[in-house]
Amino acid sequence: MDEAILLPLAHAGHWLWVLYLPPVLIVVGSIIRAKLAERRRRRSDTDRSTD
Amino acid sequence: MSRLPDLLPLAHALVARKDLPIPTWLFAWGASLVLIVSFFALSVAWRTPRFEEDRWRPLGAGLSRALLGIPAQVVCGAIGVFLLGVAIYAGLRGTEAPDRNFALTFLFVTAWLGFPVFSVIFGDVFRPFNPWRAVGRVVGGAFTAFAGQRPAHLRYPERLGRWPAAIGLIAVVWLEIVYGSSGGVAVGLSPHSAAVAALFYSAYALAMMAIFGVEEWCARGEIFSVYFGMFSQLGSFAVRDGRLGRRLPLAAATHWATVPGSAAVVIASIATTSFDGAQEGAFKGGLESTFERLVDAGLGLTSALRLTDTIFMLLTFAGVALVYLIGVRGMSTVEGAPPFKKLRSGFAHTLIPIAFAYLVAHYFSLFVFQEQAQFTYLLSDPLGTTTTDLFGTASGGIDFRALSSNAIWYVQVGALIVGHVTGLTLAHDRATAYWGDYRQAARSQYWMLAVMVAFTCFGLYLLSVANG
Repeated sequence: MDEAILLPLAHAGHWLWVLYLPPVLIVVGSIIRAKLAERRRRRSDTDRSTD
Repeated sequence: MSRLPDLLPLAHALVARKDLPIPTWLFAWGASLVLIVSFFALSVAWRTPRFEEDRWRPLGAGLSRALLGIPAQVVCGAIGVFLLGVAIYAGLRGTEAPDRNFALTFLFVTAWLGFPVFSVIFGDVFRPFNPWRAVGRVVGGAFTAFAGQRPAHLRYPERLGRWPAAIGLIAVVWLEIVYGSSGGVAVGLSPHSAAVAALFYSAYALAMMAIFGVEEWCARGEIFSVYFGMFSQLGSFAVRDGRLGRRLPLAAATHWATVPGSAAVVIASIATTSFDGAQEGAFKGGLESTFERLVDAGLGLTSALRLTDTIFMLLTFAGVALVYLIGVRGMSTVEGAPPFKKLRSGFAHTLIPIAFAYLVAHYFSLFVFQEQAQFTYLLSDPLGTTTTDLFGTASGGIDFRALSSNAIWYVQVGALIVGHVTGLTLAHDRATAYWGDYRQAARSQYWMLAVMVAFTCFGLYLLSVANG
């Protein structure tokens, strides 16, 4: 019973590294978003010039 | 204040921090914000390359003569050979207690950590003190005097570049923290093993100098010359054609990585420091489970421990290289990008400030505390046998209150931020040279921003876990 109560607390520290990830994910996400937007823009430019 | 206990219970972190105003992970967020703001500031304000041009100006001829003349070369070379000799002698004849023997602190703290710092400030200071170069030059000079001709050397293979130094760098750190792994001591290697390794390395270095020439080997293959020389590229002092001069700080770094294997040297530097920090905290769980599996598979305890550490050290190298290569790959997708190969070597120098920052962040406290030992009891009693007191400081000790745990943490955070902003600046400068158009250059640097943010957060995570 004691173990069941202590377990989540004991393991919380193991997940601390997750808090260091958001800055990396935000920057990488922004790059991917910008890349996709650029690709979309380029594709629409090509479509327009073909029309 | 007493002398150190037999086993120094510190590696690179000392005591847990207290009363920080915010949680440690928020420092990573703050540092990332600083990088992002710096990135946008560079994108707007830094429109032309400033570090590509080689602007070296000589200092006074008298100063060059005094610092670089033959008497100074002889004195510096003799000091280098003498200190290496003392370290080897102390290792072979002194106590086996790692913290009481001059050899380990001198080789792995004073020299290994001190030279990078002094190289950044004063230029390539290891070169005049390099004991192997000094011996090689004396032997070469003697040969020329007796034979009446200069010694003939083989041509150094261009392809090899700095690869021997990169592999050697990993080998040195492997020797210190994997082979010597004994859990929780500053340098776990036995003084005797360190002395034997120094003797083997001396024989190897001198043989390579005999084959390829002293200066050629020092420029490409001699581990310590290449490693400390790499950090000297960040500073403003340099010797050219026998004259001391000044240049724009950081500018020399832009030309350093053109030799093959240079990227491997700087990546090895970051990776070995990261591994050393991570094994105390971040990798602990993984190391333990791998170790247990290897023991279960029938390996002896020491072999399992060393193999586990070796695997993780190589994985760290691969991980750091992968992050850098992802950044380079990303850059290569931006319109107008040079070939991938050119980008790969062209941006390697941007990692040098990060390697230096990692070094400062991980070993700052170790250096400050161990140097107190170096300049008190280790200097007076180099063998650690309590039989000598050469300078009357044998009863000295380490004042662990010299630095508070919070002060250490702030130095670590500061070093990482400054190192990464400097790396970002170098990368942006190189991008403006490669892309021409500063807007396109800034676009290419989104990827390097990601690399820098990743290294910053990883570095702070390692430190927070190790110090926790």
